[in-house]
Amino acid sequence: MTVMRDTVVKSLAKVTVQGDENGLIPEYEVLVNLLPVALLNSFAERIMAAAPPERKAEVEAGLVRAAYECGYHTGCGIITSESFNEAVMPMVTEGAKDILRGAYAAFTAWGWAKAGIVQLKEGERMVIRAFDYYEADSGGEGLRAYMFRGLSQAFFDLAYADPYPDGMDTYICQQTKGLEVGDPYGEFIVTKK
Amino acid sequence: MSLELNFSLDDKTFRNFLNGHPVVRHSHHYLCLITKLVEDLSDIGGPQILAEVVEDSIRTVLDDYFQQQGTLSEDERMRIGEAYFATFGLGKMAASGDRTGGEVRLQRSHLDEGWRMKWGERDRPVNYLACGFAAALFGAAFGLPARSFAVTEQEGMVMGAPESRFIVRAA
Repeated sequence: MTVMRDTVVKSLAKVTVQGDENGLIPEYEVLVNLLPVALLNSFAERIMAAAPPERKAEVEAGLVRAAYECGYHTGCGIITSESFNEAVMPMVTEGAKDILRGAYAAFTAWGWAKAGIVQLKEGERMVIRAFDYYEADSGGEGLRAYMFRGLSQAFFDLAYADPYPDGMDTYICQQTKGLEVGDPYGEFIVTKK
Repeated sequence: MSLELNFSLDDKTFRNFLNGHPVVRHSHHYLCLITKLVEDLSDIGGPQILAEVVEDSIRTVLDDYFQQQGTLSEDERMRIGEAYFATFGLGKMAASGDRTGGEVRLQRSHLDEGWRMKWGERDRPVNYLACGFAAALFGAAFGLPARSFAVTEQEGMVMGAPESRFIVRAA
């Protein structure tokens, strides 16, 4: 049995999150936050708009990097968590490939994006398509799913690079299509850096 | 009056909602790096952009909630704002004041504690996010327009202080 995506999504989507008596959400070895999508999208739009042309690449890289480090550290906590272990691990028969599929199911279940892997060459290349992601609602110009790029790069590093925490920055993710520019879906390609 | 929480999930998109507003989860790594990014962009107003974006988006959430709840006192609005701050996992906030300004204290802070976990202490405050949140809270509590309050962080847990303290002044 390989990972049955819809089953995992439904299982993980039941998890709700809110701050404890200290107003904190300590989970997956990190402090989790829960923020309005409008805040994150508006921030990306306004900081990109404020950057002069010669610095837009720097700002874009910074937005991707924030998601990447979040995804790498939190992602490790997620794929070693009890909820992931219960929902996903019983279906894992193809090692890293199945864990990656489970990670994208979590990606969907937690409201980041309705997305899945459409091509995978283990350790070399992955193509993901997303039919809904919150960054598609953002204002601005051009392809701008910075969070999606960072998280996808992180997940591939976790699956195929050196074991955590030594595998950072092994792969890179580029966005080739986007709902935000009128394409029918978002498309993201992860390759070796 | 306590904050009522209504979490929901769109069965088709799997987007998450809290009291009707789409929400998403990230970690302290994300907010710390976003904060560092805006500091790196100080020359184009990065910290102010972050604070204003937070003020505007949180203001929408608070205004919607207050409108749905009907008549609430200013004090009740302050307490609900604090509860939202905690629900979002941003920390434990205590706000006091009136329409001329006041004070906000954080006994726990997602950003400060996350920053210390990631990079250690530093010698100046870092919580532009809480500044924006406090501005939104005071504006919403007293029914005043956006940018009615200027918020300055006086000391932060990231500096080793036992709690973070913000001064709120009518702009």
